[in-house]
Amino acid sequence: MTAPTKAPPAPSRHVTVRGEQIPVVLPNRRDPRLKLSTVVISIHVLGQTLLDFKVSIAQILISMAVCGLIEGVITFRNTRVLAWPASGVLTGSSIALILRASGTVHGDYWSLNGIEFFVLAGVVSLLSKHLIRPTGRHLFNPSNIGIVWCLLVVGPNQVFAQYLWWGPSIIGQVLAYLVILFGAVWILRAVKMIPMAVSFMVTFAALIGLFALGGREFIAIWHDGPIGGMEYWVNVALSAEVLVFVFFMISDPQTAPKAPEARVLYGATVAAVAAALIYFQQTEFGIKVSILSSLTVVCAVVPFLEAAVRRRREGAEAAAPVPAAPRAPGPAVRPAGLAALRRPAVLAALIIAVATPIDTALLHDNKQVILIEQGQVGKANAQ
Amino acid sequence: MTDLVVPGPSTPRSQRVLSLLGLVAVVASGLVGGNFLGLRETLWGSESPEARPAALSRDAGQPASGPAPTTAPAAGETVLRSQPWWQGLTKLEGRGSTTTSPFTVSQDALQWRAKWTCDTGRLLVRAPGQARPVIDAACPGAETGYSIRKGAVSLQVTADGPWTMAIDQQLELPLNEPPLPAMTAPDTKMVFTGSLYRMDQVGTGTLNIYQTADGRHLLRLDSFFVTANIDLELRFSPLEAPRTTPQFMASPSVWAAPLDITAGSLNFTLPPDVNPAQYRSVVVWCPIIDSAYAAVTLRQP
Repeated sequence: MTAPTKAPPAPSRHVTVRGEQIPVVLPNRRDPRLKLSTVVISIHVLGQTLLDFKVSIAQILISMAVCGLIEGVITFRNTRVLAWPASGVLTGSSIALILRASGTVHGDYWSLNGIEFFVLAGVVSLLSKHLIRPTGRHLFNPSNIGIVWCLLVVGPNQVFAQYLWWGPSIIGQVLAYLVILFGAVWILRAVKMIPMAVSFMVTFAALIGLFALGGREFIAIWHDGPIGGMEYWVNVALSAEVLVFVFFMISDPQTAPKAPEARVLYGATVAAVAAALIYFQQTEFGIKVSILSSLTVVCAVVPFLEAAVRRRREGAEAAAPVPAAPRAPGPAVRPAGLAALRRPAVLAALIIAVATPIDTALLHDNKQVILIEQGQVGKANAQ
Repeated sequence: MTDLVVPGPSTPRSQRVLSLLGLVAVVASGLVGGNFLGLRETLWGSESPEARPAALSRDAGQPASGPAPTTAPAAGETVLRSQPWWQGLTKLEGRGSTTTSPFTVSQDALQWRAKWTCDTGRLLVRAPGQARPVIDAACPGAETGYSIRKGAVSLQVTADGPWTMAIDQQLELPLNEPPLPAMTAPDTKMVFTGSLYRMDQVGTGTLNIYQTADGRHLLRLDSFFVTANIDLELRFSPLEAPRTTPQFMASPSVWAAPLDITAGSLNFTLPPDVNPAQYRSVVVWCPIIDSAYAAVTLRQP
């Protein structure tokens, strides 16, 4: 999810271990990541109380602890600083917000059912963050790639993503939308991501609207019969799940482009890729994986998006000799071509960028997913 | 942590090995994620069982002359599974010790049982290849013995007097019964119809109620599926479209039929004292947990 900016270090505190003074950086009230954590935790509270989320408090806490621990260890190893692992904790919290282990029952607050999948998703998230850095910064949104990996590799027999429909509690849904929308304004304004979010929502809503008009339908375990027409559009385009995705996941400044124009293009591209993958899906599982996968795919091409926007800007500057606008921050794209593929990080990113949409598309006629969404696997709680 | 940014020729060997392992993991993830060659379902299991032929009858109709197929041809294959139910295989009877004529237990069967009776002495029944006897009891008596042996089975009976055994096999396959002849008789009319909708669990399929010329009522479920559980039953409700268990329970309902099979196409004869015209819906009810699984609103065809 979004990790807006890094908190200013405050290394005035320290601990002494075997004679070595190790600086300690505690959570800072002004850290923007705390805003996001507040929103995510608020949604978790609603999920546990009003929204019947099939995730336990134990799953949430362990997911946060594992990610926080990994992040803390890596940070300490790299910087010799004991820092509060705000990003790691946020990644774990975000994973628990979206990922579900099949068979978990709402209200079983200390259930460890499928805890290994939460841990796996966290490990994959943080490994991708610290290992796949072809441009010198992490390429993929950590929680996104961890969840997508889990949904595709572990698969529908064991895990699924939070339902698109957050009912049946009307009060719960109203409160959830309020938290999401106020949280969106609170956070996106700070990181200048509102145009990106609007770009995504407009493109996505329009394309999903076209699909609905074209008679596309999907089946979901929580719904009796296929979902089509206006219901299709509302449940996909306006789902609280999608809003969480656009406001708090794709808006991560660390993995989104830096330049404002590139961000608008990025939002529209994520929406277009998501819609393209959704078009073929006939199950809610497939649609949710499509939405999440679209970010994985587009994150892989963000350096190219930034380069394209930069070239366009430089072309415009060359044509009109006016004072140049400040160059967008961020690393330059390194020389492309086959030589770049010799770098493992580039190769890994390429494989992920190609495999993710293929694997997602292959879900469209997966008999197991269809049977699960029809509720016909014979289990009372298949998801 | 190893950084894969630029592992050039001077990169330590360990880092190159880790990079290679990382790439292998990424490629493997891509292959498993696409379920290529069924990799994902092999690794993590599948909720989609192998397609198998549905059963055709509650009684396999074992002819006396020898074994016969107990399931439908491949054309009726299905991945759906029912609550396990007992399909009649054959009835055996005799006096004194003997080896019975063989009966065939389907490879799809979970187990089989012999419901026995005997009058005098002792009854000992062994299945070939099974150390523990299926039955070893004093007579007179009437109980049930079980076995999991599949294929052709001839029982070795040691007895002092007359005995009977009713052999059933337990299946979890759906049952696709053809409609009863009375349902298609010229004087029979369909009086109610409807489609199942889910309540606490999943329920799909259609329900038709027929009235025969002699006033009997027959009920048929087609392409039916409900989430499996034991001791489910069909009940008539005066509510037009109950949506919740408390709503259903608030109105008096009457028992219509037992639902020992939870998938397929099934026939039932309704109790003579129940008039469907007095009710507006049929509910799949689980008395064990007091839960309305699914329901059908009755409409005139």
